[in-house]
Amino acid sequence: MFIVYALMYSLPTSYVESMARELATKPGSTKSAAQWLAELNAQYGFDRGIIGGYLQWIKTALAGDFGDSWNWSVPVVEEFNKTIWYSFILSFIAFILEMAIAIPAGIIAARKQYSLTDYTITVVSLIGISLPTFFTATLLKLIFSVKLGWFDIGGMQSRNYITLSDWGKFWDLASHYVLPALTLTLVSIGSLMRFTRTNMLEVLNSDYIRTARAKGLSENRVINHHAFRNTLIPLITILGGSLPGLFSGSLITETLFSFRGIGYASYYSMITGDIPFTMFYLMFVSILTLLGNLISDILYAVVDPRVRVH
Amino acid sequence: MNNKNLNEILKQREALEQKAKAEQNNSQNKPLALDDTQRVKVLSPGRLVAKRFFKNKLAIFGLAILILMFIFSFIGPLFYPYSQTDIFYKYDYLTIDYANAAERTDAVAYALSDSAQISSKVKNSLNSYIKSMEKDGKTEAVITDDDGTQYSIQKLGEKIYSLSADQLTETAKISQNTSIAKYNRFSKKISWNSGITADDGLQKAIENAVSSKSSDFEYNGISYSIKSESKNMYNIIRNTPEIKWSGENLGDDFIALAMKHSDGTKFTFNGADYRAKANDDSSVSVSAIGGKTMVSVLSSFVFNVYDKAENFSDQVKAGILLSIYDSGKFSYNGKTYSVTKKDGRYEIYDEANNEIASLGNFVIKRYSGQDTLSFDFKEKAQQTIYDMLQNNQTSSKFIYSLPQMDLQGNYVLDEKGNTTYADAEITVTKKNNQYVLTCEQVTYLIDIFGRPSSKHIFGTDGDGMDILARMMYGGRISLIVGFIVVFLEVLIGVILGGIAGYFSGWVDTVIMRLVDIFYCIPSLPILIIMGAFFDAIKMNPYERLAWLMVILGILGWAGVARLVRGQILSLREQEFMIAQEATGIKASRRIFRHLVPNIMPQLIVNATMGLGSVIILESTLSFLGLGVKHPLATWGTMINSVASSSENMIKYAYIWIPVGLLICLTVIAFNFVGDGLRDAFDPKMKQ
Repeated sequence: MFIVYALMYSLPTSYVESMARELATKPGSTKSAAQWLAELNAQYGFDRGIIGGYLQWIKTALAGDFGDSWNWSVPVVEEFNKTIWYSFILSFIAFILEMAIAIPAGIIAARKQYSLTDYTITVVSLIGISLPTFFTATLLKLIFSVKLGWFDIGGMQSRNYITLSDWGKFWDLASHYVLPALTLTLVSIGSLMRFTRTNMLEVLNSDYIRTARAKGLSENRVINHHAFRNTLIPLITILGGSLPGLFSGSLITETLFSFRGIGYASYYSMITGDIPFTMFYLMFVSILTLLGNLISDILYAVVDPRVRVH
Repeated sequence: MNNKNLNEILKQREALEQKAKAEQNNSQNKPLALDDTQRVKVLSPGRLVAKRFFKNKLAIFGLAILILMFIFSFIGPLFYPYSQTDIFYKYDYLTIDYANAAERTDAVAYALSDSAQISSKVKNSLNSYIKSMEKDGKTEAVITDDDGTQYSIQKLGEKIYSLSADQLTETAKISQNTSIAKYNRFSKKISWNSGITADDGLQKAIENAVSSKSSDFEYNGISYSIKSESKNMYNIIRNTPEIKWSGENLGDDFIALAMKHSDGTKFTFNGADYRAKANDDSSVSVSAIGGKTMVSVLSSFVFNVYDKAENFSDQVKAGILLSIYDSGKFSYNGKTYSVTKKDGRYEIYDEANNEIASLGNFVIKRYSGQDTLSFDFKEKAQQTIYDMLQNNQTSSKFIYSLPQMDLQGNYVLDEKGNTTYADAEITVTKKNNQYVLTCEQVTYLIDIFGRPSSKHIFGTDGDGMDILARMMYGGRISLIVGFIVVFLEVLIGVILGGIAGYFSGWVDTVIMRLVDIFYCIPSLPILIIMGAFFDAIKMNPYERLAWLMVILGILGWAGVARLVRGQILSLREQEFMIAQEATGIKASRRIFRHLVPNIMPQLIVNATMGLGSVIILESTLSFLGLGVKHPLATWGTMINSVASSSENMIKYAYIWIPVGLLICLTVIAFNFVGDGLRDAFDPKMKQ
């Protein structure tokens, strides 16, 4: 965090200076630009150098005051509230799609190891891992927006949004979710598929499955009852751990589709040197990461009774 | 024989026996027994892994792609003629503004004689007078100069006017206070000024006056004054005005009136108009104002001269213009010119009846402002414009032969070395009050977004650089970045992870907390901010590339460290470590010589998979414009430069889709190879 603060502090795109000039030229301003600059520097703690400024930031942040975003010219928390739900819904849709496709596919691949299905799924998942987000997004844009014209190339609303009925507005908004959600799903589906397959294989190779088969249970029961439940242990741990991450937005995808989520907001905050918003976002993401680790640890204990015994 | 000992001989014999036995087995095709040593082929662990790896089709596919990619991006540029920063130019037909034509609305004055002088004020106001004449339909206008001189403009015909000025005849010249002579008292010599006739009586009077030291004297009713100039030198000045009459003496009253109006205003004496004008030498000339004479011809016609070397003087031009409404013929300096009107335009011929010039309404110049166009071109252009005006068109075309250029931009010469001409279509377009003449000419351009051709297989990009070359160099950068970053990650990870795993205790705690911190750092935001920071300080692209690699390495080592530590923790408990301790090897040697090689398989798999993700990260950053910068080529920037708008996305799909596929293929290949290696190292999963 401190490194980020130092970097942002050193960015020459000084927002404070331009704001000081702006304030000084406002009618009724009794102070010169230099006076405004000094005052604003004091307000943001920039007159105390990098370390002092950082400590000041921590002090105010701990008190719950994150200041005003420079790039979005509203309080940081307000911009956060405005964008976070868009991001969450987007990530959540992608998350559900990902699970709905990847887990069954992974299990099928494991069941029919070395079959054509297995190879196809393995190759598809490896391709999914290898697809760069921006290339996927550009390809999807080319196919679905430019060639077929089904969806807008980016943004959140169509041009005729205001004239639409409530249902129309809903569908319009929903249509703008399709391509970003598809992109997110495509680029993240591969790893989950592989993970499921590997775990399922491990489970299928274990002794209790052999025992279950030896007992003469039907194959369906072996797979669905004995194997699947055990496969779920690492899956739930991983997926539970990634739940907080749904709130962190997706920097690249949202930026590429001009999707007004938190990822988009923070991307532009970062490149324009908006210190308050970036610091807030990084803090938020760090907390989410820690929270994710915590949740996955707890879930691990909840799902796997062996851990609790230890 | 003596050199060989018994053992060797025995060995040889055994080998021979075995060989014979093997041959026997083969010839008989006898099935091997289970415990036959021939059947259990023992491979070294390395070869075992290799064998398992090469059985995996996907891994082989990935390896092949990787090898191709290496050849493409590292060896390809050696044989490819272009580099990543070569800018290509081409000669192409480009519509250029060749010439422009503007109607001349202002009249130009051509003086009839060199001596005629018109004050600048009158000159500048001529056109406004002509315009108001045209407006009011008058044929005459009178301009009065500040000094009262009257000029009159008379319309002779369409666009031709004459300018006449008052003719002045001098009636008297009044000289005042003129020095008439210089007198030297010492030598008693007098020297008369020029124009003064010697007068002995006057000389006497001067001598007397000088000797009596009086400053003025009178002689013959004329008063003089004496001024001492230097020692013994006197200047004799006549005080009474001297009047020289050109004609008859008009008397003192006239002189008095003239002196009163010496500021130049007109006065009347005995019914005639006069004007007094002060000359430079303090004398005043009085002139009678007579009739008017023509001083210059005004016209807004443009002389289009056939032979540029022949410079028509103002007098010639004035004469030609005048002759239009006269005899149609005009002589000057022994040359005769004749003007005829043909098809509504005036043509000027010399004695031999060759057309030497014509009169037009348009000034036609090259777009650069140079007046280098040929007579024929101007005539043709003018004719086209007339037709346009008649038909109320705003654009038209005509054909004219211009010097031919080949596609290399050189003028085409025939065998004699003369430039050849080819018909070019010249488009005339009306723009406001001007006509712009455009034509297609071969122009030297940067070859932007050239279509794929035999010279550039994938065409050229927006900077005129060869795309295939940039693909190769982009691949080079991606692979180099991938390898260096992964090398850095592994280096830091192995050292810190190895130390943490081996020593445990507080060292382990410190390093693992560091790992936790690095795990928590959101790397993409950091990279984006770094990119913005580098942009802001305008870092050199090569330096930037180095920094990018260092930062990526530093951000990525935590995973490797965790892996190494975990493996070492389990290996540490094994017997060979106890044996090492017993032999007393140094700790560093124990870690890096004996422990690390044991975790090599996992490291290699990790690094191979990591290469793919580093390449994705680098190209994503470059795509966002925050990674590797121009002029260095990367796949990410190449895609970004053409896929930013929906229009370009379709138009340049042949650029960005192959580049994107290259990224995908490289990353997929690394993942296939990594996957294959994992399976090969750890066959347990395969069963």
